[in-house]
Amino acid sequence: MADSVNTKGFMRTKVTGEHRLGFCEKCGTKTEKEFYMDGNRKRVHMTCPSCGGQGKLIAKTYSVQPPTPPQCLRMSCLWGFFKDTLFCALLSNYHARRVAYAEANRNKTILERYRTGEPSPKNIWQCIHANVKLACPICRKYNGGTK
Amino acid sequence: MSQSQTWTDTGIAELILLLREEVATGMESIVALNMATPCTAAVASTYADPADTATHHTDSGLAIQAIDTVAGDTVNTAGDTILFDHVFTATATKNVAGIHVCNNDDDVAFIECCFNAVLPMESTDTCTIDGQSTIEQA
Repeated sequence: MADSVNTKGFMRTKVTGEHRLGFCEKCGTKTEKEFYMDGNRKRVHMTCPSCGGQGKLIAKTYSVQPPTPPQCLRMSCLWGFFKDTLFCALLSNYHARRVAYAEANRNKTILERYRTGEPSPKNIWQCIHANVKLACPICRKYNGGTK
Repeated sequence: MSQSQTWTDTGIAELILLLREEVATGMESIVALNMATPCTAAVASTYADPADTATHHTDSGLAIQAIDTVAGDTVNTAGDTILFDHVFTATATKNVAGIHVCNNDDDVAFIECCFNAVLPMESTDTCTIDGQSTIEQA
């Protein structure tokens, strides 16, 4: 294509960190490391030896992947890249503030979405809404709206 | 501060050494990063000099240790992905700002990850790491 620009291959890395209490949420027993099979993949998590439960989730971190570089110089491509970049920045900001909020309130009752990160905002508008809601002490107590 | 994660320059150099069958070791170890504020992962970071002013934890269940599971996977092309899972269990109150995924010699950091926010871990708290790295074609 005459109007395409070259991009390059790269190493895409995703990491999540799940911070939990070390005692079972249901029965209070100390959780232990357990290996299990997820399809063909051997994985590990902390489970309760008595009831199979897990420790209370405090916060889960997420990788926000940077947008794919534009594949052409048309306005539609550049505009799409601009929107993706803005979305990435807003989403990163939301998850950073969400995790900090959840960690600061580890022993309090807060909306589960701030601990799990799900549902995550899906577009720019939802990101703006979620960030405004997270900043408002009254709004963030209630589980209404899209975010 | 958003979460950031990247392969380091020294990690890529170690990978190239592996491809050339020179003296190098694979992804075997993991260590938690200690910093009071969120760090930003950088390609220039090294095992000895992590991102910003972060340092490696050296005790309390967060020091360098063998990764619990390392496996291969497929995302785009067969076998293009490496997966790693690990659980840290803290034995004292410590801040965890991120992780280094290291080689078996414990002298090269392949991947540096700085979390969305600092995780203030207390004794018996656990942190389960679920990581994936894919080499993508152009």
